[in-house]
Amino acid sequence: MIFPSHLIEDAINEFAKLPGVGKKSALRHVLYLLKKDASEVQKFTTAIQRMRNEIKFCIKCNNVSDSDFCNICAGGSRKQDTICVVENIRDLIAIENTQHFNGLYHVLGGLISPLDGIGPDQLFIESLINRVNEGTVSEIIMALSANIEGDTTSYFIQKKLASYNITVSTISRGVAYGGELEFTDEMTLARSIQNRLPMNSITN
Amino acid sequence: MQQSFSFSKPINCIYGANGVGKTNILDAIYYLGFTKSYFAKKDSAVVMHNKQGMYIEGIFDWAEGQSSAIKIIIRENGKKELSENGEDIKQLQQHIGRIPCIMISPDDTVLITEGSEYRRKFIDGILCQIDTTYFSHLIAYNKVLAQRNALLKAWQEPNGQQWDLLAYYNQLLCQHAAYISPKRVAMLAQFIPMVCALYKEISKEPKEIIINLDSKLVNNNLEDLFKQTIQKDIATKRTSCGIHRDDLLLGMSPQESFKDFASQGQRKTLLFALKIAQYQYMKQQLGITPILLLDDVFEKLDANRSIHLLNLITQENCQTFITDTHLDRLEKAFAGWEEKVDFLEIGG
Ligand SMILES: [Zn+2]
Repeated sequence: MIFPSHLIEDAINEFAKLPGVGKKSALRHVLYLLKKDASEVQKFTTAIQRMRNEIKFCIKCNNVSDSDFCNICAGGSRKQDTICVVENIRDLIAIENTQHFNGLYHVLGGLISPLDGIGPDQLFIESLINRVNEGTVSEIIMALSANIEGDTTSYFIQKKLASYNITVSTISRGVAYGGELEFTDEMTLARSIQNRLPMNSITN
Repeated sequence: MQQSFSFSKPINCIYGANGVGKTNILDAIYYLGFTKSYFAKKDSAVVMHNKQGMYIEGIFDWAEGQSSAIKIIIRENGKKELSENGEDIKQLQQHIGRIPCIMISPDDTVLITEGSEYRRKFIDGILCQIDTTYFSHLIAYNKVLAQRNALLKAWQEPNGQQWDLLAYYNQLLCQHAAYISPKRVAMLAQFIPMVCALYKEISKEPKEIIINLDSKLVNNNLEDLFKQTIQKDIATKRTSCGIHRDDLLLGMSPQESFKDFASQGQRKTLLFALKIAQYQYMKQQLGITPILLLDDVFEKLDANRSIHLLNLITQENCQTFITDTHLDRLEKAFAGWEEKVDFLEIGG
């Protein structure tokens, strides 16, 4: 595509870098912004810039946060003895949206996959063990994708937790099988959180 | 560009000069069965140059008046969509085996002359179509194997964590191999005698050929093998034993392999014997008659063997598609079978 302005072209190229956005829809977005007031567009760019520059990660659970602790960890209203372990923030949001989980989270930041160069040390596993070590946790729910990487990570964490007197469960695999967690609709996800299985029944 | 064809006879001869797209018709049928090309490694290669996507639809009329409309679309963004009678099919496991097809092409002699992976793929291709559980185990096994190999590649100053992961991958591989290996053994126990009998029938050679499964897993436990080979695996950074090392040994005699000792005609005969055995085995196991796709099979096969081969095929009650450059060769080959045969010219 040929564009009449370098400024337009630069903006289009930036939009086209977003996942799922091709050149055509990038052009549509840019032309839309062009029609808007400069102050409106300023709001748009400021929001994105601030999001990127000022975002923090919760010291406790690694969730995105505006301050040192995320609003889930900071408010005292949630069950403090239950931790749901998720791969990423997307999955945390998916489970949060079911409104069927009232405990805390732990965001691993990925799954163990030597193929992608990700070993246990690249993930927030040690900090999870530290949380358990503090003694206030009684149940860990593994809500990881039902694939080899998810299973490997569950197995690995479970092994590290073997010496602690806590319950480790997993959300039922039949539901998430074949699809990644984020694609599972909220109803089925809610059901699977309620019907979680004890871990040892599925690893052997 | 769009074309449609209708085939209602058991035997469909497609003729025309080289490069007019005869093989494309066979490959389109194959694509509907397997959602991928037999010839092209990548989907991008099956979409016409300068075109944004591709669309194939095949309507298969089954017995008892039922029919399936299988549609495959490759979108502009490279995404592939598959549906049967308007219903989307998300998982390949649901579709593989639904439209069983067997392609025989001149390049297939790699099955005999090249490395073991071709023969494994051949055997797995048959088993995956008749047993979706096998297919799932095989996919999972290959994924775990890739992770195990990546772990070995990154192996340095091992700590406890790496050993833990290795042990876990071993355990998974053993689980999947425990399903796959016995299935291969059982399948080959039936399949190999079929191949040998067909070889005799096509070649009319009295000599017995010798085909055997070469697998360490037949007499060993994979867990034990992993224990024995761990130092070697770490040194070579790859997994030295498992179902991914199985091979099918093809011999003219105990000392003479087909690869090194057979003539071109003998190799071709073995290839046809393997493929027709695949046809017979799948028909028996699936209860559906597979479609035979024969691409340029008359090239480099002597007249006698061609006749024996065609006799075999015409006796089977299956739908067959044959491409050739010469109409007269096809007409001569099917003389006497006219009511069963249709001729279609491409690019004329
Ligand atoms: Zn938090």
